Amino acid sequence: MADETFDIAACLERVRQRDQIAARELVDHLYPLVIRIVRSHLPRRVAEEDLAQEVFLKMFTRLDQYKGAVAFTHWVSRIAVTTCIDQLRAQKRRPEFRWADLSEKETDVLDSVLTSDSEVPANDALAAHELVTKLLGQLKPADRLVVQLLDLDQRSVAEISELTGWNPSLVKVRAFRARGKLKKLFEELERKERS
Amino acid sequence: MNGFESKWQRLTTAARQAPETRDAVAPYGFATRIAARALGDERPARTAMFARISVRALWVACLLTLVSVATNYLAFASSEDDEQNLIDPVSDVLNAS
Repeated sequence: MADETFDIAACLERVRQRDQIAARELVDHLYPLVIRIVRSHLPRRVAEEDLAQEVFLKMFTRLDQYKGAVAFTHWVSRIAVTTCIDQLRAQKRRPEFRWADLSEKETDVLDSVLTSDSEVPANDALAAHELVTKLLGQLKPADRLVVQLLDLDQRSVAEISELTGWNPSLVKVRAFRARGKLKKLFEELERKERS
Repeated sequence: MNGFESKWQRLTTAARQAPETRDAVAPYGFATRIAARALGDERPARTAMFARISVRALWVACLLTLVSVATNYLAFASSEDDEQNLIDPVSDVLNAS
């Protein structure tokens, strides 16, 4: 968070009295947190700013429901995650994963991962990130979210459970199912690589 | 799944190192727009309530107009007949003289 000294409680009190300046300050303060979540789970053809706007409007609409049981940033993160998953679910079709759609760098990274045991070079990190995003795009929205939170954001099952409202068993089932699908995808890619 | 796990872990480890090049600061005017939309909802609600009341008032006014026209139509129609039988004191005086 940009400003550690920001007094959220005082700001919320002013927002509840319909102070627009306080509302602006709150949005500015929370924007880095919200945009990070939105960018991590952004569906295709959806502008990140539009999704961030939806998250903030939901936050203000539900402000009366916030009782302070959890940190406000955590409460907002949960709204952001559920908003993203709703948007991902609204996407009816998932794009097919094709070698031809990969950039040269992404193909190199995939080659390196599939054919050798060495680590991916640090300067290929961006391509690796793009590649992971494309692979995750093949999963069901809920499964994609779980893998993203587990493997990219390095959240624990308990944290994911809190963020999504799903019980830990369901999170584990989704992670298992997603890994199975990714494994199949890797096997197909390896076959294509050999042929 | 071990072979896959190792490959996936290497890939995600590399992906996590990708630098975030995009700005994490709200675009100019974003916060103002959100604050105005979020806290400006009260006015449209009042306007909507006023509009609802106005529409009802319009219906009531239309109904009253129709009732009054219907009621007075009978009075107008009967007054036309009465007009012929009106007492005309001037003509009475002239006729008498």
